[in-house]
Amino acid sequence: MNDDLDTANSVEFETDSDEAPRRRFELEETGFREVPKRWRKFYRLWDGPGDTLAPNEVICPVCKVVIRSHRELRPGDRVYCMPCMSRLVVARGPDGGLIADVLY
Amino acid sequence: MVGTGETGDTGDAWEPHLLDEDEFLREVQSFEFWFEAIEGYLGDRPNGYDPDLVEAELDDAERDQLVTILCNYPVGETAALEASSGLVRLAATNPSQIFMATQVADEARHVEVFRRRLEHLGVSDLDTTIASRANPELLEFKRTLLGFVDDGQWDLAVFAQNVLLETMEDTVFRFHQTTADPVTAQILEGVIADERRHLGFGENDLGRRLAGDPQRRAQLTEVRARLDPLVLRCFEATYRDLGLRPDEFPELGRSYLDAVERLGLGG
Amino acid sequence: MADFLSQYSIQRWLEACPQGYLDGTVYGHDPDETEAEEVLTIDSLREASIAVTVQLIAGERCALAASSGLINCAPDDASKMFLATQTLDEARHVEIFTQRLMDLGIKKEDVNSTVADLANPNLVKFAEVLLEKVANKDFVAGVVGQNIVLEGMAFSVFELLQASSAGNPKFAKTLAGTIADERRHVGFGENRIGSLIQEHPEKRPEVEKMQAEMSYYMLATFTDMFSDAGQRMEEAKAIAAQRDENPLDGVSWHGADLMTATPDVMEAVLADTVLGEFKTRLGRIGIEYQSPKVPA
Repeated sequence: MNDDLDTANSVEFETDSDEAPRRRFELEETGFREVPKRWRKFYRLWDGPGDTLAPNEVICPVCKVVIRSHRELRPGDRVYCMPCMSRLVVARGPDGGLIADVLY
Repeated sequence: MVGTGETGDTGDAWEPHLLDEDEFLREVQSFEFWFEAIEGYLGDRPNGYDPDLVEAELDDAERDQLVTILCNYPVGETAALEASSGLVRLAATNPSQIFMATQVADEARHVEVFRRRLEHLGVSDLDTTIASRANPELLEFKRTLLGFVDDGQWDLAVFAQNVLLETMEDTVFRFHQTTADPVTAQILEGVIADERRHLGFGENDLGRRLAGDPQRRAQLTEVRARLDPLVLRCFEATYRDLGLRPDEFPELGRSYLDAVERLGLGG
Repeated sequence: MADFLSQYSIQRWLEACPQGYLDGTVYGHDPDETEAEEVLTIDSLREASIAVTVQLIAGERCALAASSGLINCAPDDASKMFLATQTLDEARHVEIFTQRLMDLGIKKEDVNSTVADLANPNLVKFAEVLLEKVANKDFVAGVVGQNIVLEGMAFSVFELLQASSAGNPKFAKTLAGTIADERRHVGFGENRIGSLIQEHPEKRPEVEKMQAEMSYYMLATFTDMFSDAGQRMEEAKAIAAQRDENPLDGVSWHGADLMTATPDVMEAVLADTVLGEFKTRLGRIGIEYQSPKVPA
């Protein structure tokens, strides 16, 4: 679903210590309406197994909403899922993709 | 295609993920947050659905089956209403007390929208119809849950309500939404959006409490084992009402098992 | 009865409050409003504002615990629906007054200790009388205590504070929203309990005893709050005189001129107003008003 997110939205780079620079992303409204307006573009509904995540996106394991950031996400990043109020840390999943673990 | 585009907030690096944890919790557990969130998805849906939505034609059998399914929902939601209202006074912090108050209003809304839907489907004596058609397993679950609340057991009650009951409802509602008539589906969509907050609050609150309390974790694991058969019977009864054969049951309770695993209550 | 109860609906509440008079507000006031400058800059006025706000928080916390606690013992779904909306109203009040405490300079981590230190002991006892009824799942006594006695007191106190806040539009606006909420709460108390009292006349003596007890602690709270108000009121008048304008000029509340009334007069007017309201409301639902003992 979001194949073009990783390219069309990538507008600048950010260097993070010794690592390769991170891509940055413009975010637009996604139609997600379950949080106050100012936060809405940072979330979108997940469309199920056929839905591809962009490098700035990760799925909340608690409520299955897609969390979005302005920057490319990497393991160790902290993200918040406002729809279900979870605090999460980005990690590398078994298949090499990004996942989020809940931080209690 | 949502979520992409060339215009927007190019130089703006600010985002919610940069809030410190206290700020985040205070924001998401506030009345203001709840108020603006529900306005987003309910503002144009009085009683949970768009008034211009056209009712599907249902024959007598379909209508009767829908009534039977819907009769279970107010029972579960009333259990959640009574439990969450009892939990307000047990909440340890002001934000969690305020969050629980918002959950009280959410649950009351759910009771209301499901009862109104039943009325619109032609059910005249609501209480009698609900009592005669609702699954007895749900009533047993409600008694157990309210027992935890009456005993002042915050952890057990939050587990039973915000993890167990909410996951059960979330699973059933999501499944039902895919097969329901448009009006019922839209009502369910709004309820599911509310459940996200409740589920998340329960798991995160419990997770924080259990992190440093192995004794509490052992106690919850035991309670979970005791409640599992009842939860399974509730699931099965509801899926039967939805007209499914056992071999057609979707992956029952997957979300619940995942949550239990994350909390370390797998036993 | 069915038609009357049908007005207690979440949908109706959503349309009236979040989508109605609270629309566009932040913590109950307009987003660009701030506390009056003198309240923030003059220590004695700031301390007095903090003390008043703490009593509001203590009262609202009690109302939150009571309204949520009564849901479980409500005899019908419509009452449960109404009390669910009231629970959320009270939670909002706790939140907006807590925010005001922080706006007045109390740090977030010091809010609870400030409330514990400054909450009037008589107000705490007032709350305990009510919450005991709620804990015993006594719906009739709980609703009379909450929606007639507590809310009746809050209604008049908020009105007085709103009238006294002519120079502080932010606080006045915050209070206006809470007054609108309280109107519904006292309305529910009278309308729902009136019929229940008729069905359960045996509850009258117990409810009347509770009213007298709560009224006593309320009067004692008023006495404490007004006892050291003289100096502060004089100070506010002096500041206004320096500016050659007093926002309270010409403002009266229940016949008392707020610019010239002494603390004793204000206490008496407030007590008379609240007790008069109790008497009228209780009479309408068939409860005989009990004159409370007068605090020493």
